[in-house]
Amino acid sequence: MARIIVVTSGKGGVGKTTSSAAIGLGLALKGHKVVLIDFDIGLRNLDLIMGCERRVVYDFVNVINGEATLNQALIKDKRVSSLSILPASQTRDKDALNKENVGKVLDDLGKLYDFIICDSPAGIEAGAMMALYYADEAIVTTNPEVSSVRDSDRILGMLASRSRRAELGLEPIKEHLLLTRYCPKRVAEGEMLSVEDVEDILSIPLLGVIPESQSVLKASNAGEPVILDTDSDAGQAYQDVIDRLLGETIEFRFLLAEKKGIFSRMFGG
Amino acid sequence: MADASIEFKGSSFTLSVLHLKTSVLADIRADLTHKVAQAPDFFYRVPVVVNVEKINDSINYQGIKTLIEEFDFTFVGFTGVIAKAQRQLIRDLGYSFVNTAKANTATKAKMSKEAVVAKTESVAVTTQRHLYTDKIHRGPVRSGQQVYAKEQNLVIIGSVSAGAEVIADGNIHVYGSLRGRAIAGATGHHSAQIYCQNLQAELVSINGNYWLSESMEQHWDSPVYIHLTDNELTSSKLI
Repeated sequence: MARIIVVTSGKGGVGKTTSSAAIGLGLALKGHKVVLIDFDIGLRNLDLIMGCERRVVYDFVNVINGEATLNQALIKDKRVSSLSILPASQTRDKDALNKENVGKVLDDLGKLYDFIICDSPAGIEAGAMMALYYADEAIVTTNPEVSSVRDSDRILGMLASRSRRAELGLEPIKEHLLLTRYCPKRVAEGEMLSVEDVEDILSIPLLGVIPESQSVLKASNAGEPVILDTDSDAGQAYQDVIDRLLGETIEFRFLLAEKKGIFSRMFGG
Repeated sequence: MADASIEFKGSSFTLSVLHLKTSVLADIRADLTHKVAQAPDFFYRVPVVVNVEKINDSINYQGIKTLIEEFDFTFVGFTGVIAKAQRQLIRDLGYSFVNTAKANTATKAKMSKEAVVAKTESVAVTTQRHLYTDKIHRGPVRSGQQVYAKEQNLVIIGSVSAGAEVIADGNIHVYGSLRGRAIAGATGHHSAQIYCQNLQAELVSINGNYWLSESMEQHWDSPVYIHLTDNELTSSKLI
């Protein structure tokens, strides 16, 4: 059985798609068969971040409506052969999805892949509910600021009440906290919530802390998920996330502000 | 306007009802003495309605009223599902007869329940507030969620997030942080209380009296219980 993981947040712009892309590619690099699904119908972004926007012929909605087969719509990643992307439609809206057909597509994909990563749209409307409905696990992406934490809390409530697992009374969705755009310096100055603050409010296990990094924007624009940038702290932090998802215990990094050494001070590094 | 200075309005109140199972005054006196001794402050000047429907022989209404008042209860009147003539007798003696809201519609159900109640009740006094059972919610109450314990106390094993709402007709216990709203005694229950391990609430309310966060500064971020004294909310440290 494939693990169905939804990457969700409630709030927009916190790094859902960036995280989906990095985690999907990271798992595939470890040799797992992974499919990334873009649930953000009408505002498709995942194909851009993955660098395959020019190869989209058919999309998720075409598959749902029976206008294309899964094989026609799935785009194989050029870097890692065990990774596929199911892009969203740009011309339709989120009402194009329905529970029954999404369930059927996920069932079919489950036979072919080890991991199904669902990149959720922002908000708490039908689109986001559809993305989380069939999930086994959820990666709740949160920025260290109050409105993002509040929205994540709301989504956690939805995961516990509106998912298939909740409706059928099965074991609840396994929740992971992914803190993105973390800036230890600003935490130290009291401008940003700390990891402990967010953990205290949301009370779910921490999966990873991704530091605020220039490399994320660069990677997004280049269509190369940031996890490929093994020199960057963000890339390394995502790598830790992958290891933790696969059951390893890894110490958290990048939680403290770097102390500037005498040389970097002198040369303004 | 002729009636500008006064206005009559209907309203519901929670009253303690004393159910009598005998008309022997000495027996009632003995049981009442025992009961009141357990919580003298609680019973002092409490308004009481006396239910006489379980007594079949002739009743000394005058004697019962005097006895009740001897124990420092405030006597309100008699109640119960009883014959019309009996009701008239009560009125003729100058006492009021109080109709239960449910009396007419639920008479039959009540009758059948009585057999059970009579067996399980070993003391003559019952008060409604002691009948609340607990509704237990395990895990956090998230933003946007609402948990209501109808005619129950509410126990939350976890935190109540900002933007969440917990409501109970009885007491509320939060074994975690209370960051959202807590409304106890929602349908009118003056002695309802709110307990939490960490008070950071947006709003707390007991029996319609409420506080916003700014009124909670004294015990902010600490373990607290909140209750009503007269008609003022008061917070006290738990530990």
